Amino acid sequence: MENLLQTIVDTEAEIAIIDITGVPTVDTLTAQHLLKTVAAARLMGADCIISGIRPQIAQTMVHLGVELNVVSKATLADALSVALERTGRAVIKLKKAAAVADQNRTPAEKGQ
Amino acid sequence: MDRIPILKFGNALLVTIQVDMHDRLATALEEDLTSKIVEFGAKGVLIDISALEIVDSFIGRMLDNIAAVSRILDADTVVVGMRPAVAITLVELGLSLTGVKTALNVERGMALIHARLKTSDSDDDDEE
Repeated sequence: MENLLQTIVDTEAEIAIIDITGVPTVDTLTAQHLLKTVAAARLMGADCIISGIRPQIAQTMVHLGVELNVVSKATLADALSVALERTGRAVIKLKKAAAVADQNRTPAEKGQ
Repeated sequence: MDRIPILKFGNALLVTIQVDMHDRLATALEEDLTSKIVEFGAKGVLIDISALEIVDSFIGRMLDNIAAVSRILDADTVVVGMRPAVAITLVELGLSLTGVKTALNVERGMALIHARLKTSDSDDDDEE
């Protein structure tokens, strides 16, 4: 928690993505810690996105009655695209852009 | 008695807490701020707590109270510059300040308030 909050300050981050793909099990204590971290990050002015919750973990959490009132996405890629969208950025294909630029060039330019 | 200065900044009020808060100072700030919001018809309140190192449950509740009162008086509260240790303390105390908007620094906090002022300005234009 301390690491995340300090990094938010250092990098002036707007959004924090917490990816828990590598977490095999989540108990109530872990879930509560996760929620506390999200709340603390919000207090620092950063939005949190949780990604990569395994199906079993989702089931366990619901069974345990733990409710995450945060944005959660299935994969890290989904979370990243949401983060990019919110910060007004996008990833574009450079190759396609190059092809379009190529079309716009005159035949003489293409020849040499 | 010492008081925390409240600056008028356009349609917003700017409060920077530079000293360690004690309870009397907190209640005084709460009262001053309420009357200033009414006096200036402020639409936003920016509270900079970047210099605040120690926060207890009373100060946390005060921030929540200020936000609740401001909302009733049609002003948004943005708390900026909270330190990591303070954020952890507040969460551990069970104070997540759900009614308060937050930003990392004064610059971003002001951007938040300006965004709100812009939308309310355009609302006013619609009414005219």
